[in-house]
Amino acid sequence: MASLSDIGNLKHLYLDEIEPGEATTAPAFLIQASAQVLNERCDRNWVPVIVKETGKDQYQVIGNSFVYAVAEEAGLERVWCVVADDSKEAAEVARVLSGEEIPRINLSKASRDEITAALRYLIELPDSALKRVKLPTATNRIDEAPRQYWNTLDPIANLKCGITRGKKLKALQSVFYLTPQPMPDVITDPAILKSLTATELKKMAKKRGITGYSKMKKADLVNTLSE
Amino acid sequence: MTSETDLQAALLKLPDDAPEAVVSETFFASYVLDALGFSKSNGEVIPQFDSGRGAADYAVRRNIGEDIFLHTRNNPYMICELKGRDINLEEGSAQYKRAVQQLHKKYLLAPKCKSAQWGLLTNSCHIQLFRKHNKVIHPATPCLKISPETIDRAIKSIRQKIENPVKALTIAVYNNKGGVGKTTTTVNLASILALAKKKVLVVDFDPNQQDLTSALGIPLSDGQVYAALNERNTNIKDAIQRYVPPLKKTAEYDLGFDVLPADKVMVHDIDEAELLKEWKNHTLHEKLAELKDTYDYILIDSPPNWRVFSQQALYAADVVLIPTKHNNIFSLENAVTVIRDFVPQVQSIKGDASPIALPIFFNAGRVTPYQLQEAQKALIEMIKQAKRAQEGKPKFDLQPYFFPRYTNSRKDLHIFQLPSYANIANAAFARIPAVYRDKSAREYYISLAKEYFLHG
Repeated sequence: MASLSDIGNLKHLYLDEIEPGEATTAPAFLIQASAQVLNERCDRNWVPVIVKETGKDQYQVIGNSFVYAVAEEAGLERVWCVVADDSKEAAEVARVLSGEEIPRINLSKASRDEITAALRYLIELPDSALKRVKLPTATNRIDEAPRQYWNTLDPIANLKCGITRGKKLKALQSVFYLTPQPMPDVITDPAILKSLTATELKKMAKKRGITGYSKMKKADLVNTLSE
Repeated sequence: MTSETDLQAALLKLPDDAPEAVVSETFFASYVLDALGFSKSNGEVIPQFDSGRGAADYAVRRNIGEDIFLHTRNNPYMICELKGRDINLEEGSAQYKRAVQQLHKKYLLAPKCKSAQWGLLTNSCHIQLFRKHNKVIHPATPCLKISPETIDRAIKSIRQKIENPVKALTIAVYNNKGGVGKTTTTVNLASILALAKKKVLVVDFDPNQQDLTSALGIPLSDGQVYAALNERNTNIKDAIQRYVPPLKKTAEYDLGFDVLPADKVMVHDIDEAELLKEWKNHTLHEKLAELKDTYDYILIDSPPNWRVFSQQALYAADVVLIPTKHNNIFSLENAVTVIRDFVPQVQSIKGDASPIALPIFFNAGRVTPYQLQEAQKALIEMIKQAKRAQEGKPKFDLQPYFFPRYTNSRKDLHIFQLPSYANIANAAFARIPAVYRDKSAREYYISLAKEYFLHG
C-alpha cells in the first residue's frame, strides 16, 4: 500500500493555502523579470517551492521562497511544491540548499582547507568588511590557534591577523560556529597557555596547587604552567 | 613450456568482461596482494577501508610486532583502488583520469589515510603505482599493461618500490622564463620546510647566475661539485655546505639547511658542450640518489633556459614547481611549454612516469581584480588551444595545471598566489631568506608549503 504521507511528493498546491514563511530578500527587479519569463514561457514553475504541512490544506514555505514570490508576482493560481517533513533539520537543509542561507562550519574541528575556503568566501564578497584581510596570514593564525577550546570567536581578534572586533569579527559569525571541548585541567602547551587571559591562568594555577601565583605576570604564569 | 605462476594462472582465468567484484575477489585480493607481500590471513589487508571520506577498496599495511593492522585499523601503508575490466584504464582515457582523481583526492588525501605512502590502481588489464609524499602524489610507475607474460615482472617491480621507500621528495623549481622568482621561491620554501623540522637540501644548479649561493652568502664550490658529478668514485656529500641563518635565536633549535653550492669551474673553465660529453641524462639524478635517505626534501634551483642544467634538474626531480607572474604573459606561455613539452620529454626518457608538473602559482606583488581576470582569460584561452591538436603536437589537457580546483560541476578558477613585496626582495641584500626576518613573508610561504607539500 502506498504511504498516506505527502512527504517527498510533488504537489500542485493553491497559492492561497501556502504561508510565505521567511520572505525572500531578492530585489524587485529579479522577481518581476522572472515572473515575466515564467508567464511568457510556460506558466509552470519547474523549480518547486519547498513547503511543510502545517494543517489540513495549510502549508508554509521553508525553501525556495524566491520561487514563491515569483509565482505570486506572475499571478499563478497554483504552484508546484515539494512537501518536506516538519523538522528544524529539514528547514535548515532546505534553506541552505536553495541558497537562501549561508551554511556554517564548525570552527572547533574544521580543517585548514575548510578555513581557507570560508575566509576566501568572506573576503571575496562584494563590499566585504574583510577586503583587506590577508588570506594566508589569517588562515595560518586561526588554524594554529587552540580553537577547539574557544567558546566564542573573540580570541580571533587577538591573533593580529587583521580581523578586529566589530564588523570584521561579526562577518566571521556568518560562516563559523563552535562546539568547544571543555578545557582540560592540565595544559602544558605554551602556545595554548599564551592564548588565555591572566585571570584564567591564575585559576588554573590555583587548581594545580602552585604557590605564589597571585603575584606572577602572565609570562611567568605561562612558564610555570608549561613545566 | 614452463609451468605458469599463480599470478599468470589467476590472470588467465579471469573472463574478458570481469566486473569489479570478480577482479577484486578472484584476482587482486587472492593473488596480487599476496605477491606484493601483504598477507590476508595475518590481518594485513582491510577491504572497504574507511578513509574518512568513503570506503577505499583495500588498505594494506605490514603488521608491526603486536600491532595487527586488521585490529588497530590505523596508519595504512598503501591504498588500493580496483576497477572492473569494463573500465578502460589506458593512460589518458577519460575513465583513467576519473579513477586517478578518485584515488588521489577522495582516498589518498582523506583524513584517515595521511600515513599512506602508496596508491595502487588496477583493473587487471592495467596497473599503476603512485607515491604519496606527505601531500604530494606523483606516479611511481607508468600505467603498466598487464598480460600473462608481463604480470610477474610488473608486480615484482612494484613490490621492489614499496619495500624500499625513498625518504626524500625531489622538487625542481623551474620556468624557462627568467625573473619569475625561482631562486627566491627555492630559498624561502627551503627555509619554511626547515622551520617545520624537515631535513632539506638545496641544490644551486644555475652556475651561470649563482644567485642562490650568493643570496645565502655561501662560498662557491671550487670544483668539488663538478668532480662529484663527473667522476664515479667521488662522494657528493663532501661538497655540501650547511647554511645557518645568522640570527640571535638560532641556538634554540637547529634551523637552517644544507646547500650544494654552484660550482665556479662549471662556468669559467668548462663550456656546456664539454659537459654534454661527460654527463648522461641521469648524472645528477644518480648522484642525488645517494642522498635521498638523508633528506626529506631536495630542492633544485634551475636556470631559465632549456639546456643541460635544467634538463639535468628536471630528470632528477619527482615534481616540478613552476612559479609564474600573473602580469607576464611570457611566463605563462613558458609554463605551458614546460608542462606540455619539456616534462613529457623527460618522462619519456626516464621511463617511470616522473617528474610531473605541479599546478602553477602566481609569484607577484598585489594582483588587482582586473589583472587577475585578464590572467584567467589568458589561461582559459591557452587551455582551449591545447585541447585542439596542433601541427605536430597532440591534444593536451592543461586544466589541472592551471585550475586544479576546477571540475565539471564547479567553475573554480582560483590560483595560488604568493604576494611578493619589498620585504621579500630586500631580504636578499641581508643574505637571509625573507621568512626568517619577516612575519608576513613567513605566513605566505607557510601557505605555499601547505598548499603543495604539507598536510594542513
